[in-house]
Amino acid sequence: MSVSPRKRVVLAIAVLLALVMVSLLVGRVALPSNTLFTLWRSDADPLAVLIITELRLPRTVLALLVGAALGLSGAVLQGLTRNPLAEPGLLGVSSGAALGAVIAIHTGLSLVWPLATPLLGLAGAFGAALLTLTLGRGEGVLVLILAGAAVSGVMFAGTALALNLAPNPYAAYEISMWLMGSLADRSWDHVLLVAPFLVAGLLVLGGTGRALDALSLGEQQATSLGINLRSLRLQVLLGTALAVGAATAVAGAIGFIGLLAPHWVRPWVGHEPRRVLWPATVAGAALLLAADIGTRLLPFAQELKLGVLTVLVGTPFFVSLLLRLRRSAP
Amino acid sequence: MSLLQAQDVCLSLSARPVLQAVSVSAQGGEFIAVIGPNGAGKSTLLTVLAGLLAPDSGTVHLDAKPLAAYAPRDLARQRAYLPQNPRCDWPLPVERVVALGLTPGLPAFGGFPPADQLRIDAALQACDLQSRRQQPATTLSGGELARTMLARALVGDPAVLIVDEPIAGLDPRHALEAMRRLARLARDEQRLVIAAVHDLTLAMRYATRLWALRDGRLLADGPPATTLTAELLRELFDVAACVSGEGGSAYVDYV
Amino acid sequence: MHSLWSLFCAGLLLVPQLCAAAAPQRVMSLNLCADQLLLALLPEQRIASLSWLSQTEGDPYWLTTAQRLPANHGTAEEVLAMHPDLVIAGAYTTGATRRLLARAGTPLLVLPPAQDWAGIRVVTRQVAAAVGESARGEQLLAQMDETLLQLQQHASGSPLRVIAWSGSGTDVPGRDTLFDAILTAAGAVNVGAAVAGRADFDLERLLQLRPQVLLRGAAYAATPSLRGEAVNHRVIRKLYAGAQLTYPEAVYGCGVPRAAQMALQLRQQLSAVRSLRSLP
Repeated sequence: MSVSPRKRVVLAIAVLLALVMVSLLVGRVALPSNTLFTLWRSDADPLAVLIITELRLPRTVLALLVGAALGLSGAVLQGLTRNPLAEPGLLGVSSGAALGAVIAIHTGLSLVWPLATPLLGLAGAFGAALLTLTLGRGEGVLVLILAGAAVSGVMFAGTALALNLAPNPYAAYEISMWLMGSLADRSWDHVLLVAPFLVAGLLVLGGTGRALDALSLGEQQATSLGINLRSLRLQVLLGTALAVGAATAVAGAIGFIGLLAPHWVRPWVGHEPRRVLWPATVAGAALLLAADIGTRLLPFAQELKLGVLTVLVGTPFFVSLLLRLRRSAP
Repeated sequence: MSLLQAQDVCLSLSARPVLQAVSVSAQGGEFIAVIGPNGAGKSTLLTVLAGLLAPDSGTVHLDAKPLAAYAPRDLARQRAYLPQNPRCDWPLPVERVVALGLTPGLPAFGGFPPADQLRIDAALQACDLQSRRQQPATTLSGGELARTMLARALVGDPAVLIVDEPIAGLDPRHALEAMRRLARLARDEQRLVIAAVHDLTLAMRYATRLWALRDGRLLADGPPATTLTAELLRELFDVAACVSGEGGSAYVDYV
Repeated sequence: MHSLWSLFCAGLLLVPQLCAAAAPQRVMSLNLCADQLLLALLPEQRIASLSWLSQTEGDPYWLTTAQRLPANHGTAEEVLAMHPDLVIAGAYTTGATRRLLARAGTPLLVLPPAQDWAGIRVVTRQVAAAVGESARGEQLLAQMDETLLQLQQHASGSPLRVIAWSGSGTDVPGRDTLFDAILTAAGAVNVGAAVAGRADFDLERLLQLRPQVLLRGAAYAATPSLRGEAVNHRVIRKLYAGAQLTYPEAVYGCGVPRAAQMALQLRQQLSAVRSLRSLP
């Protein structure tokens, strides 16, 4: 807290850079640690160049983008619902995106038209968010959360149905693995496919700061301060569906990053929703990249799924958060 | 000097008529206490006057311009509104809560202009909150929170201040203090203050005018000394009451 | 020969009466590999039912025949409704059905897996004897041995480095598998042996092994899947354009005499790849 804002920015950049370096060096194939500095030399090992530029670099970029999307949307949704337990998964957005992606992949649409996966993922995310906001409209946070749970349930059932009807006999196994979330073996194609949507979503979400600040006084006061709540909800819906929809379409369902990142930065930047947004974005990116590095480092024969790791690490934090909330609540 | 006028305002909520042909008018320098039993439509009238709720029929004008014609931010700069039991959902420092009152004048991105910091300081001082500056709003006592919210409303220097039950839940000292503060805002700073009040004694002592509502209709409109009579109280609340004294020592007692 | 006969009867311990009984006229298979053996050994009218997999995933050679025959999903009810003279099941699947059938007294043969050419001979003879077609069985095996001999005699050039890979997380067959035997017979080297059974096998490790040809399971290739996406990774597209073949996993994993035919086909495909493209 005694750290000045400028130092904080420098520190955040340093941490991100260090994580990126580690991410480029860590994988199933061991590369000498000086590889990064000899990549552009003519005598560089072509295998190492290939692995770093075509496998690990896109994976790293995706981890940063997906983490940023989850962190920011988590912070925005916590601000909108004025509930510290909100996260993208809560609105059914992730499960909606998963349903869309599953349909795209297993009907073969994605083979004919590569954009089908992110676009159907986005469509699923939009559908789910719209449904949640319609069902839980106006009646406060609890109804919204319950509506989100209901929509998630419907989306999961839809996913199961899509698997039932999938022509590929391995589909059920594949998709249950995919739903655990992973960034393994992603390519620049994936980056190019989802980055435009994801970045657009981040920009839309990033503009909600002032309104969320005002909303911390409740809906009536926020309205009296000139905030248009309907357009704010729409903005959050659009941004979350774009960012989280794209993230889920490429990386599967990854829990807890959206919940954790805002909480992680609040001790440093305070509770004002606007001030939490960009730090939570950076924190989300760093956390997800660290988690992805973790999946590659942990010595299991089977690569640990990213979503599994984030939930395993996130749950104790979640519990401690609940305990703290219970203590501070009257 | 601002002028707020409502003409034949009717409003139904869930098919139940809440306001029926209410016409009122008020201007800067007045402190109006809205009185009436629970469910009389006081809060609804305040939200309509604040422009948060559009009436089914009838019009509300601020300075001869319909409220609906104002851009939300322009309206927010001229009138402040505090709902019943306002609270802050995040543990923000008092200073930041007060700063939220400047929202309508701020750009979407970036920090506060230095001039705004001066306005925040002034609002904090006006509400005796300098010592609480950094305290999280969620840990304040009821009186302190009420003062913080009032500071939040005042920081934007509004011409019209609409407050729903500003003294609900406050102990006598804080209630007195709050009413005194609202009266000063009207008298000394020529603002228009409209507040729903249940404590009739305090309303009588500090308000310059009363609006008495029952079942969505305006039963009386006038200065407390002549308006607040035993007959009106019977009509309003179905209780027998006597009104004694006048001015700063007036009080209402029930029999 | 004598030892084989005793082995066969040992395999049939569950149905000792079969050794003496007349050849079964309505044989039912619950297993993809048994399906293919029956199709090779028996005329169509003696096959009561085949597993549902053989209608889509089986040996393409038998596909149309299999689609004409009734399919089953390996449930006990289906078997009881069919009243077959003999049921052949796999050792690893339809466990509940097998237990029920044993209790109901339905004649049942459990097919052991085959992992090399010797295993194919054992399994083929066992099934051929059980359905009373031992002569046909020997005929199939003789064809197989002839093909293998032919492959050996015309061994060509340095062996290609090949791996069976259908995307990360899929099975990579290694040493002591029928796939390995077929690949070796086709004159190639299975570089997948080093990573077989390793679920952590990913694209990085694949590149490290420097295979020259990728073999993709036909079932994966035929229907859309996520794995299909992994195989379409742009590194793979770039490095292995024209060096990817699909293979019918069902035949490569089953102890059937046609495996020799598969080896022959594979060698032809590999030499086509070799001539088309200068391999890494």
